Amino acid sequence: MQHLVHCLGILVLVVNAVMASEEASLESRRDFFERRVRPVLIEHCFKCHGRNNQAQNGLWVDNRNSLLKGGISGPSILPGKPEESLLIAAILRQADDVESMPPDKPLPQKALESLIQWVRDGAYWPDASPSLVNEQTGREPATNLWSLLPWTVSEVPSVVATTWPTNGIDCFILSRLERQQLKPVADAGRRTMLRRVYFDLTGLPPTRSRVEAFLANRSPDRFERLVDRLLASPQFGERWGRHWLDVVRFAESSGKECNFTYPHAWPYRNYVIDSLNADKPYDRFLHEQLAGDLLPADPAANGDELQVATGFLAIGSKRHNAKPTEFMADVVDDQIDVTMRAFLGLTVACARCHDHKIDPVPQADYYALAGIFQSTEPLYGTSKTKLNKNPGELVPIGADGRGKHEAAEKHEQLIKKTSAQLDAKKKDLLPQNEEPSESAELSNGNLVECLKTEVAELEANLQRLKENRPTRPLYSTGARDRKTPADARIAIRGDPDVLGAEVPRGFLSCLRVTSADLPPPEQSGRLELARWLTHPDNPLTARVMVNRVWHHLFGNGLVGTVDNFGSLGNMPSHPQLLDWLATAFVRQDWSTKGIIRSVVLSRSYRLNSRAAADTDGSLVSDAQAKDPSNKLLWRMPIRHLEVEAIRDAMLKTSGKLDTGRPQSSSVTALGDQLIRDIPLDELQPPSRYRSVYLPVIRDYLPVMFEQFDFPSPDLVSGRRSATVVPLQDLFLQNDPQVRNLAHAAANQLVPEQTDDAKLQDVFLRVLSRPPRDDERRDALAYLEHARATVRDEANVEVEVKTWGGLFHVLFRTAEFRCLVDID
Amino acid sequence: MTDFGNRNISRRQWLQVSSPTFGSLVLASLVGDIARAGSGPLAARLTHHAQRAKRVIFLFMNGGPSQMDLLDYKPGLNERDGQAGRNDGRELMGSPWKFARHGKAGLWFSELLPHLAGQADHLCIIHSMQTDSSSHPQAVPLLHTGSFQFTRPSLGSWVLHGLGSENSHLPGFMTVNPTRVFGGPSNYGSAFLPTAYQATRIGWEKKSLRDAQVANAVPPAADSIADANLRLTQSLNRKLLERHPSNQPIQGLIDSLTLSSRMQETIPHLMDLATETKETLDLYGIDQKPTDNFARQCLLARRFVESGVRFVQLTHHGWDLHSNLPHLVDRCREVDQPVAALLADLHRRGLLDDTLVVWTGEFGREPEAQADHKDRAAGRDHNAKGFCLWMAGGGVRSGFSYGKTDELGFEAVENKVHLHDLHATILHLLGLDHTQLTFRYSGRDFRLTDVHGQVVHNIIA
Repeated sequence: MQHLVHCLGILVLVVNAVMASEEASLESRRDFFERRVRPVLIEHCFKCHGRNNQAQNGLWVDNRNSLLKGGISGPSILPGKPEESLLIAAILRQADDVESMPPDKPLPQKALESLIQWVRDGAYWPDASPSLVNEQTGREPATNLWSLLPWTVSEVPSVVATTWPTNGIDCFILSRLERQQLKPVADAGRRTMLRRVYFDLTGLPPTRSRVEAFLANRSPDRFERLVDRLLASPQFGERWGRHWLDVVRFAESSGKECNFTYPHAWPYRNYVIDSLNADKPYDRFLHEQLAGDLLPADPAANGDELQVATGFLAIGSKRHNAKPTEFMADVVDDQIDVTMRAFLGLTVACARCHDHKIDPVPQADYYALAGIFQSTEPLYGTSKTKLNKNPGELVPIGADGRGKHEAAEKHEQLIKKTSAQLDAKKKDLLPQNEEPSESAELSNGNLVECLKTEVAELEANLQRLKENRPTRPLYSTGARDRKTPADARIAIRGDPDVLGAEVPRGFLSCLRVTSADLPPPEQSGRLELARWLTHPDNPLTARVMVNRVWHHLFGNGLVGTVDNFGSLGNMPSHPQLLDWLATAFVRQDWSTKGIIRSVVLSRSYRLNSRAAADTDGSLVSDAQAKDPSNKLLWRMPIRHLEVEAIRDAMLKTSGKLDTGRPQSSSVTALGDQLIRDIPLDELQPPSRYRSVYLPVIRDYLPVMFEQFDFPSPDLVSGRRSATVVPLQDLFLQNDPQVRNLAHAAANQLVPEQTDDAKLQDVFLRVLSRPPRDDERRDALAYLEHARATVRDEANVEVEVKTWGGLFHVLFRTAEFRCLVDID
Repeated sequence: MTDFGNRNISRRQWLQVSSPTFGSLVLASLVGDIARAGSGPLAARLTHHAQRAKRVIFLFMNGGPSQMDLLDYKPGLNERDGQAGRNDGRELMGSPWKFARHGKAGLWFSELLPHLAGQADHLCIIHSMQTDSSSHPQAVPLLHTGSFQFTRPSLGSWVLHGLGSENSHLPGFMTVNPTRVFGGPSNYGSAFLPTAYQATRIGWEKKSLRDAQVANAVPPAADSIADANLRLTQSLNRKLLERHPSNQPIQGLIDSLTLSSRMQETIPHLMDLATETKETLDLYGIDQKPTDNFARQCLLARRFVESGVRFVQLTHHGWDLHSNLPHLVDRCREVDQPVAALLADLHRRGLLDDTLVVWTGEFGREPEAQADHKDRAAGRDHNAKGFCLWMAGGGVRSGFSYGKTDELGFEAVENKVHLHDLHATILHLLGLDHTQLTFRYSGRDFRLTDVHGQVVHNIIA
């Protein structure tokens, strides 16, 4: 009996192993097909044998059945028998009775081998995607992709430690921890919380007096009131606006091979900041960016705003030197990519050349969207030059912008006309002077006089016109519908010159909403697209946005891949919490500030960052052992500050920060130019404004931005990388501006104070806390050494250099560059 | 950190001799080990297979050198000089310069490259290069990133992503005098790869290298308290770490400060060529009129690779000779002696064996004459279908010529090597499989070679 059980055990093991290996082989056959076979068929056969074309000889190669059935010559493949398969004979080009394929040139050797092996191995074709290119019905929507499913409406879970949670968020976090028998760490101290919430909500540190006032305030709602004050401050939008500008690849030049300035992109930057400060409902924010120009406007109140918002569609990187068809296809691709990733977290642009390999996005869906954007004219400015084959228009803004623009244009026309008249008259004068015809001399004399008078008048006129040019309005990037909206045709393999079937404008087939408005014939359909994105049946838009908020407050999203909610993205760590937040977000009228407020006021946000033993040693160590990556959020991770926060904090600490907003952008004054023609120091002139207002010139970011992980503005970046490399410290150590700021900070100290008092002051200003005893000792020794070493220089005295040295040291510390526990 | 790096390298070498199956089995645990060691994004990593080259010097001749006047000897073209070409109204133009065979293998060199000809036995010349575009704005990013349509990481960034840095006191990827046009900094950028993989730049194209420096890597002032600054910063950091035990971000920052201070010492020292002997300076042509600037670049490149910089990119401009072909004489005078010296110097120091040197333009030129002005001699137009490059060291066959263009030099006809193949081959020599060196971004695994590229095994020794 025991023997039998033993045998059965082995049998089970063996069966498991066989199943595993079958699974593996299925996996590898699918992989082989996707990597080696599908691309070959698409690239080399599909042009003539695809479903969207008149199939040559009646053979379609876009699904297995068609190949098995074959065309007029009979079955095309015999699985397992390449030597008897017509397809193989055709591509080997050696049979007299079989036409060689492809007709123009042989397949590359590797492609040939791939197809032979594929037929030999049974011509596997994955069921999930029966066709090469979508035929509307060809692909089953992958309803199993979690992010496409409706929200799960869950009650706030009950927890054992009922006194711990402060709001619903905490119940979700704690119940997960309790299930693993883990406990959250203790709350962070008050200084830590103050610094955390200041940086998270405004990107700036608290001033020394703010720190002291907060510590002195004993009222129980002091934190809540602080949060509300910070959310209401203009600095909030400058912080959170920048997060959004990362996502929408905001920049003020075209980038790519020929990098042209975009002098009028800045209004969109301000629009984003202002929208966040106004807590514009996120659905409205989305509608405006995609289709503001199509929304009903009150010209006096929000006309400009709605136009400026559509700059979203115009600011992507562009190859201005490309031929117009390619240029347009690339612009549309950029617009699809940014729209779908920013709002939906889906990588739809993968379907430009073929059905999405992993997510349920057929190529036809891409072209349904492409029709919408092809029917849209992006307005990005630039002027026509040899290297710019694709200049665009702009939107005049400001009081009577349109009127001023038209007056200015009319005036330019007049100058042109007058100038032409003048040239003509001058020409008339010339030959008559040179070759006076004798017979007409007398009358000519009059004529000449007459002409001369006219020329003089025209010259004066022209001069006057040039001197009295009407003031031009401000301009902005934007977008508008083209005159004749039209559906797009599928570009075979993404080549805009090889067009297949027309696809009606529409949205993603994997996300169906009830009674969606479809694009009307007379409009592009952007407004309908915006409505579809924010439709109550569309679960993704709210999920993606609340996850972005979570990411910025915890350093990680509940879904780690913030821009990818597709199959290759991460699964949510707390799916019910994600949906609960998404529901709450929509219910609270899509209030971004509201969702930020509830997260910031949760207990979970208030945890400290200690990784090892804390109040209750054993349990916390448990958490460290069981969940070292802190996926379950038993503590607040230490987070690197972004480059903007580091720069702005140095400026603020030194009293040099200009908290105002620049008139426009330093790029505006540069006008239409190639970036390469502009001296480097003019590209990034010195500035004391907050970092969000520094010019974002593609490929020419400020050095500090390049080194501290500012994301490439060519790309959608909801999550920045956080790398630590020595060049960052070299910058902080040696950049003259950083040193000057340290000296400026030193100038703010009260000269009469003792070293000890000054030391207190320095630490409080830079790190929001007093020095510890051992730090105090080290710092005093440092000061003594510095005083003895540094020498007076013009304008910089020993004391300034000495104390500046200390500020400079603190600017370089890990504590200044990260959000850590400081209590 | 250095210790961890060394240990990884020795493990990697050990892995290379063990069986591939075993290697892949232990790979996962090793990777975990490295991650735990906190070695950061530039830590040395395992290769996919045995490595022939450890580092690369990439010499970019901006503008497209004229191959039929330099390395692609076309007697047939010379015979048909003046006859009608392929393009409307253009005539074939033979090379005005003499060619001769050099080295044991008798490779052909024009008289414009006498110094390089002396290094013939080190060279592997590919005559059959092809690329996808004959226009600079596209061909330059193609050469450096494999794509012009999309913003992609540069070759050097991919190499760092694959291998990590070979040293801990210098950047892993340096670019010297790069161009500001045709993609400019994106030609050495990291795109969606971590920014740690972008190049550190020295100087700009067309500017003298004499006074150029790595930004912020400058020697401290005389009254500097730099040491005291570092000591206090690090003591504050270590105390912070004590309060946050085993905390990766803080440990990482502490390590990076140690390295930055080493870098600050090392870089100015490396940039200072005064420590070189007069013989070496003369060998490269430093302080001599036409050669000075590129000689400095080449000597710096040697000093960098010697100190463990993984990828060095040098740019030399002015090869786009649509008219005035005789200016090619000047270009060659500027680079010929310095590159030959670089090869000789690497060789005598035993570095050439595992340093791959690549010399190429973004494309080549046509065998026809163009722009025949009264006051200017004719030049040649761009050619993406056939051009010439050479490699040396790092596991390529030496004294070797590969591929052919047609009789006149219009296009490659035998053993064609596409740019993607070049990229695949460079990665291969570095021990990286171009189909496996991927990075997941935007829901896709991206590669330098996208879906293209075949390793050219025939040029590997």
